[in-house]
Amino acid sequence: MGFDVQFGWSGTITVVMLGATKTDGGTRRISYRIGGGKTLPFLEKTPDSSAPLIAFEICDDPQNWSPIVRNYCGDKANDCGEWAKSADSVYGADMVRLYLTSTRQRNFSDIASLGKTVDAVLSSTSLPLIIEGSNEPKIDSDVFLKCGEAGEGERMLLGTAEAGRYRSIAAAAMAYNHAVIAQSPIDVNLAKQLNILLKEIGVSRDHIVIDPYTGSLGYGFEYSYSAMERIRFSALKGDADLAMPIICSAIDSLTVKEVREAEPAIQDDIAVQWEFTTGLAAAAAGAEIICVRHPRTIPLLRKAFSNLKAGKVSDGGQ
Amino acid sequence: MTDVELAIENGERQLKTAITTIQGTFSYEDTAYHLPISYALTGIPVHDRMTSLDVLSRTKDNSLVASECILAKKTAQDGKEGSPYTGFIGDTIIRKLGYSLVDGSILGLALIVGSPPSAGAAAAICRELQEKYMLTFLAGPVIPTLSSAGVKLGLDYRLIPLGSNALYGVHFVDIIARVAMMFGGVTPGDINRLLTYATERAKAIVIVLPGLSDEEIALVDGMRVLGFPILSLGDYSKGAWISATPEDIVGIGMEQKGIRVNVTAIPIPMGCSPAFEGKSIRKEEMYAEFGGGRSPAFELLRMKNPGDIKDGQVTVIGPEIDSMHEGSANPLAIIIEVAGKTMKKDYEPVLERRIHNFVNYGEGSWHVAQRDIIWVRLSKEAVAKGVKIEHLGKLLASKFRMDFPQLLDAVSVTLITDKEKVLAAKTEAERVYDERDARIRGMRDGDVNTYYSCTLCQTFAPNHVCVITPERPALCGAISWLDGKIAYEISPAGANQPIEKGSIINAQNGEFEGINRFVRKASHGEVDRCSLYSVMEHPMTCCGCFECIALMLPEVNGIMVVNREFVGLTPSGMSFSTLAGTIGGGAQTPGFAGISKGYILSDKFLQGEGGIERLVWMPAQLKEELKPRLVKKLAEQGRTDLFDKIADETKAATLKDLMVYLDDVKHPALTMKPLV
Repeated sequence: MGFDVQFGWSGTITVVMLGATKTDGGTRRISYRIGGGKTLPFLEKTPDSSAPLIAFEICDDPQNWSPIVRNYCGDKANDCGEWAKSADSVYGADMVRLYLTSTRQRNFSDIASLGKTVDAVLSSTSLPLIIEGSNEPKIDSDVFLKCGEAGEGERMLLGTAEAGRYRSIAAAAMAYNHAVIAQSPIDVNLAKQLNILLKEIGVSRDHIVIDPYTGSLGYGFEYSYSAMERIRFSALKGDADLAMPIICSAIDSLTVKEVREAEPAIQDDIAVQWEFTTGLAAAAAGAEIICVRHPRTIPLLRKAFSNLKAGKVSDGGQ
Repeated sequence: MTDVELAIENGERQLKTAITTIQGTFSYEDTAYHLPISYALTGIPVHDRMTSLDVLSRTKDNSLVASECILAKKTAQDGKEGSPYTGFIGDTIIRKLGYSLVDGSILGLALIVGSPPSAGAAAAICRELQEKYMLTFLAGPVIPTLSSAGVKLGLDYRLIPLGSNALYGVHFVDIIARVAMMFGGVTPGDINRLLTYATERAKAIVIVLPGLSDEEIALVDGMRVLGFPILSLGDYSKGAWISATPEDIVGIGMEQKGIRVNVTAIPIPMGCSPAFEGKSIRKEEMYAEFGGGRSPAFELLRMKNPGDIKDGQVTVIGPEIDSMHEGSANPLAIIIEVAGKTMKKDYEPVLERRIHNFVNYGEGSWHVAQRDIIWVRLSKEAVAKGVKIEHLGKLLASKFRMDFPQLLDAVSVTLITDKEKVLAAKTEAERVYDERDARIRGMRDGDVNTYYSCTLCQTFAPNHVCVITPERPALCGAISWLDGKIAYEISPAGANQPIEKGSIINAQNGEFEGINRFVRKASHGEVDRCSLYSVMEHPMTCCGCFECIALMLPEVNGIMVVNREFVGLTPSGMSFSTLAGTIGGGAQTPGFAGISKGYILSDKFLQGEGGIERLVWMPAQLKEELKPRLVKKLAEQGRTDLFDKIADETKAATLKDLMVYLDDVKHPALTMKPLV
């Protein structure tokens, strides 16, 4: 706190609801309402404004997942139910983001298994979920239908819609009342265009979360930061087509050269610091959800957020 | 022949009578929408005689509502019909259907009712609907006829047998009513919203076969209010139904409702992708060439009425590639005819320019220039693989359909290789080119109130906003005002947006209140003012794509222009690339402006600084390129002497030389009002 900055902005970020509790017709123990901001993060004069949510990313086929994370998490990484349970009760995440990486195998066709995977994760954690579907347009229709159906009533966040590929995910969101992640390649205008396309097909604004695409620190993060800033400024100046919460996942953080080639003894620390610093910067740019893959990053981010809110300078938890 | 109007009157009366005899209660299972049509229209859950009558009177004896109540009562009383009939379909399946509609894996919905004249005809209609990704619902005797002809029915085959008579067609409407409530944000009871949704978004058509009773006719006709085209196979007269033949009934219905099938693969023996666009075909790789000054060749794209052309038709008039000699130059006419509900004549030249891209997409085909100066080559490799002239036509027909699905419903291509016929067709083409030129040439900035923006370059120049007017094309030279207008119509959420110019702030500089407002917003608050015709005061921002740079030379009280092709130093002491680096990136730099070559020829050029008399220097090559048009322009203004007074690098390479030269020729800029 201690800031008193007036910008004369008139816009408000649209509130998006994620996760449905029993009263909302779901089975989650908590439901989040993200967005609602009227200025830049950590400047709010309202002490009870919420810090960004931290989502822990897991997958159903970890063969291409970072070996650093696999080593740290051990066997759990091979069972996404167990992994999700740890994300919730051990690592202390706010949300779980499940990547259905099994769909990325060549000629994947076992659509029914996806329903079981989503069910397993839903039953092993009561946190709200983010589900990432396929990477292959040919199976999108089946995959997103299955995901949407499996999580019906849970108000999940489905990813990831792009300009050339958004119909299936929009359909799943509309049919089963989920929200969608709309990703554009670090460009404020393309972000807006995709939001308009989603709106035209029938997805309402309060069901959209923007993913500006997040480069890792040292590997293009400044572009992402600038795009996020511009998206947020436009939103606060009153552009309703950009006034959605932002989600950031710097998925390359754990594979950058500095992390990959670090001394084995300190590799884990370097990985965590890289992910932490990128995530913190994304939060400073205005992201409402920060996604991480290393469990140790979570407490660092949490401490930094609370320090920032208290007006203290963060030192990366050291 | 059944008189539809009479039958409707009669049928509506019968339905009304029938509904008064309803007794007891009734409801459907597995739905949260009660009797969906009645519920969507009135918000009232119907479950008995009283509510039925209430809803019927509220909807002014609507035949859909009456039929729905009667069918629901009948189903409750007699139970569901047995296999293969589905009867009422529950919400869970409707949700999936809705998903497929939004998702695009189903393009639209069709209902077929009645008794087909023959099993073969019915099967052919169903096959066509299946091939065109439509989900088809069936009701009445058409179902046993299809079954007996061996046609497989069921959701997997996209042919859904609703029930044994046409009354079951009412389920088709209750499905659409539920899709509207589930996906269209239609709240029960909001009739207007429902009708808008059904008319504009529900892609549904109805095909009526012979043999309907009066009540059934009344039911089917009731669907017209939802905007569904009712197509009949000729057995019905009067009324607002569209009569068709078994061959064209599906096509007409889909056309009426604007349902389009996307082409995905192009059936030609060579690769086709933007990846091949940059690849040229050298003389030694070439099998045959067309145009390029070696033989007569031209291209022309024209709009026709939808009925006049057959989609996908490719005609070759004259010799094919196999009777052309290797290395030869041959005549060629590429004539493309297009039709579409939203197509306009103004779009012709813009679409015609795409021929260039599309031909270059072909792995073994190459294209440069436009109109009657085109130059096309086919490679030896492609011809060896079996590529013919005909395949160029197929490529073009398919690509136009793929890239402009919203705009074009039909594309046909004629390729002429017979010299006499090419020459004959060329005369007509030249007339069309002249007509088009006249239309654009005549346009002035003052003739329109709407200009267009271009923010395509914001990807790398984040605050850049081009304002495109009839006389000032985009600074890259690639987008004219007309192109901007069309781009906006084709893609309303795209990078070209209309700008109302609003009230005049400064007429000479071309500063308008509406443009300033737009630029401020589109530049994210970075640029407050923008003068269209001034280099000195609030010039337009520059991305980096400008064809030319106009900049002030205060020492000679004039403005020079340098084009991208010029590699040397200019009198300003800087090269084009140094200048470009200084002013690009979306910044507004007073004294400098990025411009297109075409703008130099406009009356508005340098208007803010007193007009073209300010122009003191241009590279010789640019001067030469513009000469014919510029000389003519200057002559019109009574300034014939000015052209030679404009220096170039052969006359003045440095600022010092330029000062001497301008003095010698008594350039008008020297005596004009001081620039700074």
